Amino acid sequence: MVGKDLSPSKISSITAHLEKCPECQQEYDSYSLALEKTKEWIEEDKLDWVEREWQQAVQEAVKDKESVISPLAPWPFKKAWAFALMGVLAVALTLLLVIKPFFLGEGTAPDSELLSRTRAQLLGSTFQESQQEVIKMTLVLPETGQKIVWFFDKNFELEVKE
Amino acid sequence: MWMKNEDELVSEVLEGNQSSFELLLRPYRQGLLNMAYRMTGNREEAKEICQEALIKIYKYLYRFEKGKSFKSWIYKITMNSAYDSLRKRKKSEDIIESQKRQAFEGGADPEKQFLNREISTKIESCLQNLSPKEKAVFLLRDGDGFSVEETSKILKCSSLSVRTHLSRARKKIRAQFEQSNLGFRKEVKSEL
Repeated sequence: MVGKDLSPSKISSITAHLEKCPECQQEYDSYSLALEKTKEWIEEDKLDWVEREWQQAVQEAVKDKESVISPLAPWPFKKAWAFALMGVLAVALTLLLVIKPFFLGEGTAPDSELLSRTRAQLLGSTFQESQQEVIKMTLVLPETGQKIVWFFDKNFELEVKE
Repeated sequence: MWMKNEDELVSEVLEGNQSSFELLLRPYRQGLLNMAYRMTGNREEAKEICQEALIKIYKYLYRFEKGKSFKSWIYKITMNSAYDSLRKRKKSEDIIESQKRQAFEGGADPEKQFLNREISTKIESCLQNLSPKEKAVFLLRDGDGFSVEETSKILKCSSLSVRTHLSRARKKIRAQFEQSNLGFRKEVKSEL
């Protein structure tokens, strides 16, 4: 209210209250006076530049010609450069994502093949050692239909079975 | 129209026309100086702050977004320089003494000097209990007539924070007024 920061509706409601309440009115008056006086004094005690000092201060500020960055660098241009850079990065990222599978396809195939081969070897050796103790070979004679079965142990030595 | 002229002057400075810089800043030179003076209470320090602010304004003018308030932008820079200066300042007796001496150098006329001294003492008395933030908010809002929103932008804080600090500052000023017996009671009574 004192600083005149309120909306017109609030001001009118407070003014209506102040008319009825002497205590609040006194409080308001004291606030107003303190602030008005302070503002008044601030106005009365204003400093100003001596023209020569002002000119010197400005000359000092513009002394360094490099201070002002070239006209290419004003903020809107910088903004444009920033957007352009972001665009280029976005395109590059998209291309990378699109092209990556092709590169990876060529690049990873041998690796996966090697991996599967290694896995097979490992499994095979484990299988041979742990399970395939006996190898069975069967020969079927087409003329007679007779079957001959050979059994070998894991060292490929012939075993005779009944 | 005024905004357009300011934007034109900004463009001219950016194109290398240094004389436009003086024209651009001239309308605000007194306001900036007084803002710095009220923040520090020292004339020489205030001029140094303004000098530093002018250098920064020239250096970073390319960052100013045309169409926005140039006044708010330069006050923000000056206020930051004032805060930096307050941070660096040693609160020694020497500085306080020199501050008192310099603050009262009003002019050649002894009567004017006396009046200036009296007013400065009153203002200092009112503002002495305010924190830098409260002082800044009070000076920008009540002294220079910036809106709450503009003040919040200058001080990089929320509108709520501005209102809170402003309310606190006003309360302290009023309390200081009563405490100092600066003719306050008499005037209130005579007005009532």
